[in-house]
Amino acid sequence: MGYLFDPNNWEWLVTSNNFEFLFEGFLVNLQIALIALIFSLIGGLALALGRLSRNKLLAFVAGLWVDVWRNLPVLLVILYVYLAMPASWREAYEDAAPAFLPDVLQTGRVFAALLALVLYNSAVLAEIMRAGIQSLDRGQSEAAVALGLSYWQRMRIVILPQGLRRMLPATVSQLITLNKDTTLVYIIAIEEVARRGRILTGFNFFGGVQAPLLQVFIVIGLMFIVTNLGLSRLSRRLEIREQQRTGTTVEPVSGLEDQVATVQAR
Amino acid sequence: MSSWLELLTDNFGALASGFWVTLRLVGGSFAVAVVVGTLVAALRIAPSNWLQRLGGVYVETFRNIPLLVLLFIAYFGLRRAGLPINTWTAGIASLGLYTAAYVAEVLRSGVFAVSRGQIDAALSLGFDQRDTLRRIVLPQAFRTVISPLGSITIAMIKNSVIVGGAVAINDLLKEARIIASRTFETEAAFFWAAVGYLLVTVAATVAIRRLEQRYAIRR
Repeated sequence: MGYLFDPNNWEWLVTSNNFEFLFEGFLVNLQIALIALIFSLIGGLALALGRLSRNKLLAFVAGLWVDVWRNLPVLLVILYVYLAMPASWREAYEDAAPAFLPDVLQTGRVFAALLALVLYNSAVLAEIMRAGIQSLDRGQSEAAVALGLSYWQRMRIVILPQGLRRMLPATVSQLITLNKDTTLVYIIAIEEVARRGRILTGFNFFGGVQAPLLQVFIVIGLMFIVTNLGLSRLSRRLEIREQQRTGTTVEPVSGLEDQVATVQAR
Repeated sequence: MSSWLELLTDNFGALASGFWVTLRLVGGSFAVAVVVGTLVAALRIAPSNWLQRLGGVYVETFRNIPLLVLLFIAYFGLRRAGLPINTWTAGIASLGLYTAAYVAEVLRSGVFAVSRGQIDAALSLGFDQRDTLRRIVLPQAFRTVISPLGSITIAMIKNSVIVGGAVAINDLLKEARIIASRTFETEAAFFWAAVGYLLVTVAATVAIRRLEQRYAIRR
């Protein structure tokens, strides 16, 4: 306990630029999460529509794809994609990465991390979207058919706007999970916050003073707790607003770690 | 494909030992998660405002912190602070305490899903508070939470990989990585590890579906 409350250990964090070093790493995590989220949403929508397609073969393939990827541990996926990815892909990414990204995000290994996170999260989001779409009353789709709308019109005008709104809370929960999962890319030596924490505490500074490892990781943990709490607050707000606007409650989406948020709302 | 099978037979001992380590890790953490999760859920529905808040702080802390960071705190952090914690204790405690936050939330939602009328009816029939909880509320609450508890268990099985990624415990993925770096057969080694994990998650899914069919209440 003495170690935890020793003021010197906490002071160490704000001396020189230790805290900035960590915080810059944390921003890398947030950026990875944001980029992965955007591509996962696109991929997830495609997979959900594929799984709901009337084409039996397409539905089967999409279903199998989704079930395999979302049932694998995400760390395994990250390591596998990293080790199995041909060097030419990484080089192609390094060439193609837009210049406005920070240097860390322009390295080839980040491509492996992003691809792995998108493979996993698009599968999870596909299931959330499917549940959102399927929770709609059949009559909605039938009415749209009766009005003479084509498949794409039906999806774009009637089904998706309602279905996607219902999946918002579950999506935010998944975003929180994704946010936490970005620390896992430390294993392929991307310099994000967990890796930076290890770097910072890996060697003894100035004349044998040991870096306060416990404090460093408590601070890293707090960064995530604050961000994720903010996200879940936002989600709760949106949910309540939605309920007031439409007078309906959100159907829970099953099969996910973070469905808790939706169960709770009922 | 034949070389893949060969890799499995050549390294069966290592993979099986990793699989067994993963199962033990999952089993131990599950026990911690259920016990602590129940206690935290009890705090969350306690009549005292302070206890409720305490439970809330637990849930929000452990649900929002990355498991990897929790493991670094529990293992390297505590060791640096002078507490000689070993890898298994740190691994099971971290995974268990992390999962307990989710278990607590599900149990709480299960209790709240039992309608108020049930409780009123029990009380008016002369059940006391304890018996109402034990005989009326909890049996029904348990049935509504089977499915979400199942999803949490499956997520925990997948999260057990992170323990091996952070501290020196040779679980299934770690064994596969060792094999991959020795034989350069990355695809085959990871394929068998993935099969191992899918085996556990699919078995858990089937078991949960059975339980659900027997006990669950559809609301």
